[in-house]
Amino acid sequence: MDSLTYAFFGLGLVAVILSVIMLFARTPITGALSLLGIMLTIAGMYGLMQEHFIAAIQLVVYAGAVMVLFIFSIMLLNLKKEVLDFKLMSPSFLGTLVACVGLFVLLVSQLGLHFESYNYLVPQGQFTPQAVVDLGGNTKVLAHALFSQYYLSFEVISLALLVAIISAVVLAKRKFD
Amino acid sequence: MFISSELFIQVLAAFLFMMGTLIVIQRRNTIMVLMGIELMLNAANLSMIGFSHYLSLVDGQMQVFFTITIAAAESAVGLSILINLFRNFGSPKTGEASILRG
Repeated sequence: MDSLTYAFFGLGLVAVILSVIMLFARTPITGALSLLGIMLTIAGMYGLMQEHFIAAIQLVVYAGAVMVLFIFSIMLLNLKKEVLDFKLMSPSFLGTLVACVGLFVLLVSQLGLHFESYNYLVPQGQFTPQAVVDLGGNTKVLAHALFSQYYLSFEVISLALLVAIISAVVLAKRKFD
Repeated sequence: MFISSELFIQVLAAFLFMMGTLIVIQRRNTIMVLMGIELMLNAANLSMIGFSHYLSLVDGQMQVFFTITIAAAESAVGLSILINLFRNFGSPKTGEASILRG
């Protein structure tokens, strides 16, 4: 086991701790900063998996743009520090916790049972790490796929972004009353 | 270690998705609810990238590219709705908007 694998498991552990901090955050800015930390660790994991383009997108779009939006709106709303908005021992929280942990245990048990079988049930693709390096790197491979196989989806997603821009401007505009 | 790093990614994605669901259901602050949705989207992205890497495919990465775009649009629209909500009710609590009238 090399040091990169240790870095991988360490990043995962940091993400787990930060998500627990986010659940129990008293102020929204604590939650926002721990979400930022989770996004950074996930970007690091993408980088360790040799998916450089997605790691850069995660850093620029998520950790950059989306979190700046969140922190700006926390600043605009001027929220005060408050008590934790749910009780730890309330039936509502305990029921949700049991349901979510049950979902998690079911998912993990299914993964443990069937994860190895993907190796021979699903045909392996051609983009092994060595093949990606030979083809000119992760970004080049993704660009070829994006502008040939997924060309129509790319055009439609630009339309969706335009609709989102217009609706955000209309919604955030002050009413003329 | 007991598990391979590919399996570890899937377990971590399941855990983060679980925490995102807990935050969305239990928190009463609308900003925290939106952040929980972002956490769930991140967990789903992590799972897709893990499977795409495991199966030596590139389709999962393309799907994540589109999901990130949609998530950015969703957070912009969601935050502007949230600011309108705060202007109308003067409080970021979800309970204020339970009757869905301005």
